[in-house]
Amino acid sequence: MNATEVLTQQLIIGLSNGMIIALIALGYTMVYGLVELINFAHGDLFMLGGFCALTILGGLGLAPLPSASEIGSLSWWASFVLLFTLVPCFCGALNWLIDRLAYRPLRNAPRLVPLVSALGVSFILLNVGLFWGGLPMQAFDMGVSAASPKDFPQLVSNTNLLGESSFIVFSPKDLLVISATLSLLLVLVLVVTRTQFGRAMRAVAQNPVAARLVGIDVDRIISLTFVLGGALAGVASIIYALYNNTVFFQMGYRVGIDAFTAAVLGGIGNLVGSVIGGILIGLIRAMSDQYISTEWTNTIVFMLLIGVLVFRPAGLLGRATKEKV
Amino acid sequence: MKRAQIDMQLAALLGILAVVPIVDSVLPTALQVTPLMPPVLIFALVGLGLSVATGFTGLLHLGVAAFVAIGAYTFAIVTCSIYPFQIPWLCAVLLAGLVGMATGALLALPTMRLRGDYLAIVTLGFGEIVQDVLRNLDAITKGTQGINPLGGPTIVSFQAPLSTATRWYYLVLFILALVAFLMQRLLQSPTGRSWLALRDDELAASCMGVNPARTKLATFAVSAGLCAVAGALLASFLGSSGEPSNYDFQVSIMALSMVIVGGLGSIPGAILGAIIMVGINSIVLAKLADWLSNVSTGSSNVLLSPSNWKYMIFGLALVLMMRFKSEGLMPPRQSGGK
Amino acid sequence: MKPLDLTKSLLSAVAALFLCAPVGQAETSLKIVSSLPKTGSSNAQATSISNGIRLALKEVNSRVGDVTLQYEDWDDSSPARGSWDPAVEAANADKAIQDQSVVAYVGPYNSGAAKISMPKLNQAGLLMVSPAASWPGLTKPGLGEPNEPSIYRPTNKVTFFRVVPADDLQGDVGAKWAQELGVTSVYILHDGELYGKGVATMFKKAGTARNFSILGFDKIDPKASNYRSLAVKIKQTRPDLVYFGGTTQTNAGQLIKDLRATGITSKFMVPDGCYETAFIESAGAEAVQGNTYITFGGVPANQLKGLGQKFYETYKATYGSEPEGYAAYGYEAAKVVIDAIGKANTKDRAGILASIANTKDFQGALGTWSFDSNGDTTLRTMSGNMVENGEFKLSKVLE
Repeated sequence: MNATEVLTQQLIIGLSNGMIIALIALGYTMVYGLVELINFAHGDLFMLGGFCALTILGGLGLAPLPSASEIGSLSWWASFVLLFTLVPCFCGALNWLIDRLAYRPLRNAPRLVPLVSALGVSFILLNVGLFWGGLPMQAFDMGVSAASPKDFPQLVSNTNLLGESSFIVFSPKDLLVISATLSLLLVLVLVVTRTQFGRAMRAVAQNPVAARLVGIDVDRIISLTFVLGGALAGVASIIYALYNNTVFFQMGYRVGIDAFTAAVLGGIGNLVGSVIGGILIGLIRAMSDQYISTEWTNTIVFMLLIGVLVFRPAGLLGRATKEKV
Repeated sequence: MKRAQIDMQLAALLGILAVVPIVDSVLPTALQVTPLMPPVLIFALVGLGLSVATGFTGLLHLGVAAFVAIGAYTFAIVTCSIYPFQIPWLCAVLLAGLVGMATGALLALPTMRLRGDYLAIVTLGFGEIVQDVLRNLDAITKGTQGINPLGGPTIVSFQAPLSTATRWYYLVLFILALVAFLMQRLLQSPTGRSWLALRDDELAASCMGVNPARTKLATFAVSAGLCAVAGALLASFLGSSGEPSNYDFQVSIMALSMVIVGGLGSIPGAILGAIIMVGINSIVLAKLADWLSNVSTGSSNVLLSPSNWKYMIFGLALVLMMRFKSEGLMPPRQSGGK
Repeated sequence: MKPLDLTKSLLSAVAALFLCAPVGQAETSLKIVSSLPKTGSSNAQATSISNGIRLALKEVNSRVGDVTLQYEDWDDSSPARGSWDPAVEAANADKAIQDQSVVAYVGPYNSGAAKISMPKLNQAGLLMVSPAASWPGLTKPGLGEPNEPSIYRPTNKVTFFRVVPADDLQGDVGAKWAQELGVTSVYILHDGELYGKGVATMFKKAGTARNFSILGFDKIDPKASNYRSLAVKIKQTRPDLVYFGGTTQTNAGQLIKDLRATGITSKFMVPDGCYETAFIESAGAEAVQGNTYITFGGVPANQLKGLGQKFYETYKATYGSEPEGYAAYGYEAAKVVIDAIGKANTKDRAGILASIANTKDFQGALGTWSFDSNGDTTLRTMSGNMVENGEFKLSKVLE
């Protein structure tokens, strides 16, 4: 491998990892845009999505698939369709329920109150994940130890799309991650800018009282946003599990922090910004791992964040808002 | 009149805490809590520190663990026998506080323009940076080894009729009481009033002549200093600086939960919050698990092991608390409300 | 002045009072306690160890001579941390010291936790037997920090014993095995924790002595979602073997998966922190099939002979699951404590401490062994394991 090949390879890896972060950041940013809540439970909701996916695959006997040979078969397609319908539904419904029970009653409370409630929800979901990991999932012969990471079947192959002889690896996994994130971003932007619901969302984000006055059902819009954010976390968890092949009850933590950082970096509340933030973080991580040292990677990411915020206090694409008086 | 009432709350709380070891000494061993209490009280001090930034000035601070770590490591480096300094205990604790204040101010300088959640993520990031730096600069910090042994003050090491744990208990309680009463005084001073004004309305406060930048800097520094003192006490109590990962994000989250459960901005609230949150874990749940483990047979079923329910209990406590008593158990009375 | 707000003071009173949950026991018996991380990621190993302890007590019906033994299973982790918590470990130590009926403290699991409780328990003259803490510096002079282990022994007496071989042996044995496998170049990774970095450093030392070329020594971030970038970096150096000082909990499974996904076919070696079923579960049986080498301090439970075999069978029958790697050490620790209590002249802390230090040719589940003057087991048998069809297979006994 020569220097250019290494650089290209690291850029591909960074991009893929960044796209996954971006997917989760999208969920963060949508909810934040509406209710200004840092939803600490988002990462854990994402984690439960991973376990849900694992259970669906195992429970229906669709997995583990013998690698490569069955890819493209009917059951392989079926497992994809099931994953991408059931998991987002599960996460969306769960997020709706959480909002209903833990956040909605606190809508008018001081900012920190729902934040702590979110922390509490995060702990509860974490515990659910621990129990879930402890269930005997026969399909994988799992469940000996609840707390350890679980292997997720290789549904997407690692084969190199650029040919076996190429040093640079670009696998169907990378393709999946990148195409899924970009198309979801596109859909979301269209939803927000072109639909009735999107208009209502923006109205609520700008001024909930005025939105109510013009006849928008604010509670419903917020509920729907939570459902949408949850579904996004569900999709993200499938993509994450397909890419990394691991589901772990504590996986929401680092991913959640990265996504939160990405959202803030891009300007929290801004959809395109959070994707850019995610990609930036992914790329910087890859570059730092290769050219500096893995042990300083985290420090570099956060230093960069602080640096950006010093010069652009509202993030890369965020607009500094004057306080309403 | 109001001032007296707050003082009474604090005094009552500290008074009850003061008799805990005495009540304890007549109870059977299994019921005693004194040995478990010093870390709880040290955590209460962290809570007071966080109160300054988050409770009084409304700055969401998610990185207090970093300052606890800075305090602990500063204390360790200036007292441990493997380094050339070995300064006296009290000086070391105060020095840790000063170093904490300095780093707190240093963090606040570039971030003064940030508000709300942007500041939150910066403090969170700072917490991660400090952990990594402590871990990676092992020439100075011994990396994952932790720095030990560390001593306690002479007051806890001489042979007295009281047990070591009890002496530690009273030492920490004394410091906690001292800090709490000083903070109470501070809040009634013009400086303290300008902090509260900033929390309630930054724009209005700055119109009234409060300099937001300078005030934020001050609260950040004071907050960091208190956390660092707590860190120094913790290191001294543990006899070791511990590992860098002992000061991770979870510690900051814990501190935030304590302050809010107790009542944001309330001094006795922060102490009560610490007792409840840390106490639930290290005392109530521990006793419950002891009891349950003697009943159950150590089955491998994940649902039957009481310790597996800890996150759930902790989380439910927070959610229910916010749902039904969101102003906290001992909300502050000074500010006129919304 | 307004009268004291009753609700508020009541609340404080309740808060202070409910710290005293009722647990009662008789005064005439002696107590063995264990302090292991039950909350979070080490839960499986910790539970398996306490099951081992329970089994040992059950065998003697919780009695030695005229002494009734009680066992309390303490947790040294907290939900807020999800792993061992220094404050909880310190509190456990103080709690044990305060309770005069406690004569043995089995644990902790983590060496970092041991560093905190050791000086405290040493001053109280309370016996400590660890089934898992393997940092060499805890007992052996010259291997850890310059001031170790004397700093853990303020009274200059040895009160800390361990039934598990220390990491210096493991690093050495690992390097020896690697050499036998024909390895000449290694890339070493660690998780930045006391255990992982310790083992990795010992492996590096032993590898350098065997003239391996060390291609890299990097810390990974145990919480990262994958290690592909690092894998690409490693791939450029073409190592014969990648060594990872770490555990399943610090993401060994993800690491091996990413190494293989990047097309690295080098051998992969991990220490005993990965010797648990969870490691295979997390890596996936396919990724660790062949080419993955796991060293373990001792022989796997299902390969144990004599008393060990009996332990293995009883364990499976009682708990309905395979014992994890350290379960036998929990059992052995409890056995040796019970034996020491039986032989002690005076049934108090000092008597039992003196009695355990004299342990010679103890016949336990792990074989016949003694404690040396540092408190370490004389057992030096290690095993090299590989994974076959999703199960550990003993590949070689390493001395």
